[in-house]
Amino acid sequence: MGDPFDLSAGWLEEHLLIPMLYRFGLMNWEDVSYSWILFALYGVAQVAVTFAVCLPLEHWRPVERWPDNKAVWVDVAYTVLSRVGVLPLFTYVLFYRAQVFVSGWMTDQGWVPPTLEGLFPVLLGQQMVTFVLYAIILDFADYWRHWLAHQFRWWWALHSLHHAQRQMTFWSDDRNHLLDDVIAFVWFGVIALLIGVPPLQFPLLVLTLRFLESLSHANVRLSFGWLGDRLLISPRFHRAHHGIRGAGDRSCNYGAVLPWWDMLFRTADFGRDYVRTGDPSGEEALATGSYWQQQQAGLCRFARTFGRPHARHGS
Amino acid sequence: MRRLFLLCFLTVASPAWAGGIAFIVNSRGPSISVVDMATLKEVSRIPTLREPHHLILTPDGHSLMVGDTAGNQMMFLDPNTGEVQKRMPVADPYQFQFSPDGKLLTVNGLLRNQVDVYDAASMKLLKRFPVVATPSHLTYSPDSSTVFVSLQDSDKLVAFDLRTMTEKWTVPIGKTPAGVLWLNGKVLVADMGTDFIAVVDPANGKVLEHVVTGQGAHNLFLSPDRKILWVNNRAGGTTVSVDAATLKVIRSYAIPGGPDDMDFAPGGKIWITRRFAEKVAILDPVTGAFESINVGRSPHGLFLNPKAPSPSVVSSR
Repeated sequence: MGDPFDLSAGWLEEHLLIPMLYRFGLMNWEDVSYSWILFALYGVAQVAVTFAVCLPLEHWRPVERWPDNKAVWVDVAYTVLSRVGVLPLFTYVLFYRAQVFVSGWMTDQGWVPPTLEGLFPVLLGQQMVTFVLYAIILDFADYWRHWLAHQFRWWWALHSLHHAQRQMTFWSDDRNHLLDDVIAFVWFGVIALLIGVPPLQFPLLVLTLRFLESLSHANVRLSFGWLGDRLLISPRFHRAHHGIRGAGDRSCNYGAVLPWWDMLFRTADFGRDYVRTGDPSGEEALATGSYWQQQQAGLCRFARTFGRPHARHGS
Repeated sequence: MRRLFLLCFLTVASPAWAGGIAFIVNSRGPSISVVDMATLKEVSRIPTLREPHHLILTPDGHSLMVGDTAGNQMMFLDPNTGEVQKRMPVADPYQFQFSPDGKLLTVNGLLRNQVDVYDAASMKLLKRFPVVATPSHLTYSPDSSTVFVSLQDSDKLVAFDLRTMTEKWTVPIGKTPAGVLWLNGKVLVADMGTDFIAVVDPANGKVLEHVVTGQGAHNLFLSPDRKILWVNNRAGGTTVSVDAATLKVIRSYAIPGGPDDMDFAPGGKIWITRRFAEKVAILDPVTGAFESINVGRSPHGLFLNPKAPSPSVVSSR
């Protein structure tokens, strides 16, 4: 029995993409398209699983009920664009090329590029174990990226788009400013290069972590219990991070998937209980504008930070 | 009764000594499938680091070299057992071949846009040729003086003089040149962007004629008796036999699933990797029928060693 994703991607490549590429004289994109379609399929499956898991939860025990869900639809657009279209293409194409270039250059210099399997040969062939280990390392790196995004005014100006949503649902995880996404991609990419994440695993790792992050944004009264909340980030734990009290550099609970880093570096707060979300200091367009209005408002806020003296930011 | 017992014994025991090993490189596995040629079953998988694509036998026949591109590593396997002999850091080894005289090894770095020429004995890098785009396939002139490399993401074929280590010429060939093969004093180039192979004058790169084989002509192979040229067409999903002397198409076979590399088994059957189907096809060119073996993800390069004993489960390290 083969890998159903790989076989489905192969079928689509053979019957849909290659005929199209051939017809339009783009066969030099054949390898890239084969990889993109695989990761796009992972993205579709991940959105479907997220939808199937989170939607019933949100109907079961919602934290908030809103008369109008219009603001949520923009987040849906962010999610589809990010997980099915742009993310798989860029994470694969850019990361793959950068990985080959950098590690090839290192090989030329006589250095063996670092990999977990190189450090621990027992891991060679243990793809599931290395996958989990790489996921833990990337989650640790993401904790620091996220913490820094709240500390620098210019970075917060971009990141505040993510926090502006007052109707936070499982769709909200991907509502980010494009520049914030670029920074996150470079951050993840560099770390992944340094620790030798296999190029073909990188998009899958990102998508797996993102599923758990989607769950943590869900509009649901859900805690994993005293112990569970300390093992995996629950919607209750992450909602505290999105609370209006938590916007800006006085936030807490920066972790994305694992709360261990917040506990280790004393930024965890298990006491805040299903708070209201949003960023009172941000413009209304960041919360309820269209996709492009949100992007524009974020960019303007970002530009304004360079002309003002340092002050505490956020609410 | 004694004869019956002997017959049963031979029937059961024969695969152990009559088989042979097939090695199939699963690019996305990333791994190498070890297949028992007698039973046509995969018996084990050898894990690789990141993304292996192709493999060749060393001139002395003692090692099978497997290039792991993103892993920047060359693996050396025992061609009779599949046991890993050693690993060596090599930058982006995508497609590579020894020169006919066995003295040089040319390695195409597909994504690093470089063609590296090594001294085969010492594996010392003699020359790096930077190229405009994605060096993909290669072939040598029989006297080992020239190597021809297709630059897949461009429309070009480049020739390097290996005596002076200089570029001889670079010429446009079709749209997306892929497989390259020296045949009867000419260089043949499969053009994946069109439906033909280009016949090129090795002296100056001039295209002499086009031979239409099928959509997305990708890879070229010469039969062991050198009479038949085999062409895999990626977009058309076909494998085509061509008379090597006249370059006339003989027959087309439907091989779905992205036919790519091939090798020839004793008895005339042809093994073909099906990139998009996680399978290897075994084509009977007489009947046109093929059977398939399940292997790993994105099978690409393959190598048959029919003289090897049937494999038991080989070491995976």
